[in-house]
Amino acid sequence: MKFWSYFRDHAGCPETVIEIENGATLAKLHEAVCEQFPKLCGSKNSTLKAVGLEYEDDEFILSDGDEVSFFPPVQGG
Amino acid sequence: MKTELTISTEPIDEAALAKRRAMDDGMGAVVCFLGVVRESEGDDAITAIDYEAFEPMARRQFELLFDELSQSWPVESVRLVHRIGIVPVNEPSLWVEVVAPHRAEAFDACQFLIDEMKQKVPIWKKPLPA
Repeated sequence: MKFWSYFRDHAGCPETVIEIENGATLAKLHEAVCEQFPKLCGSKNSTLKAVGLEYEDDEFILSDGDEVSFFPPVQGG
Repeated sequence: MKTELTISTEPIDEAALAKRRAMDDGMGAVVCFLGVVRESEGDDAITAIDYEAFEPMARRQFELLFDELSQSWPVESVRLVHRIGIVPVNEPSLWVEVVAPHRAEAFDACQFLIDEMKQKVPIWKKPLPA
């Protein structure tokens, strides 16, 4: 897992490895992340989620080795 | 549609970009947009903005937007430069150029690209206080 922008500060690290059961969804991973990094819970509803380089929604089923990124709303320009 | 994407910490050199412009004889419109760092963020004075990008994903999302744009407007080329790292006040962080046969599609495509970028491309800004 990677955290970007101020999510990295809230997590206290840029990346970590999280183990969850086979067939878990992104929503399930989000719950596990919130348990491990409670400061990220406050932004739960505005969290954007990507697997690899693509946005995915909460129903996305994760596979072993997936690289997941969580980050706040983007602000380019 | 030709595309050129640059994500870099180097300052944006408008003159050099303009010099490299290449247009087919059938093109009648060039829209250029420059996004410049303002002296304030909300009510707070700032000296610069520190831009951070998840670069591989930013490139992927820009490519998807370019594809979408090419399906909606008859655009000949798009060039986009986003500066990352520390960008001081009054310096550009974004440069976009759209070349099309007529101004309406060039303006519309440029507006679409910037609006969508601000929703989808993983770049974030951190204002640096004065």
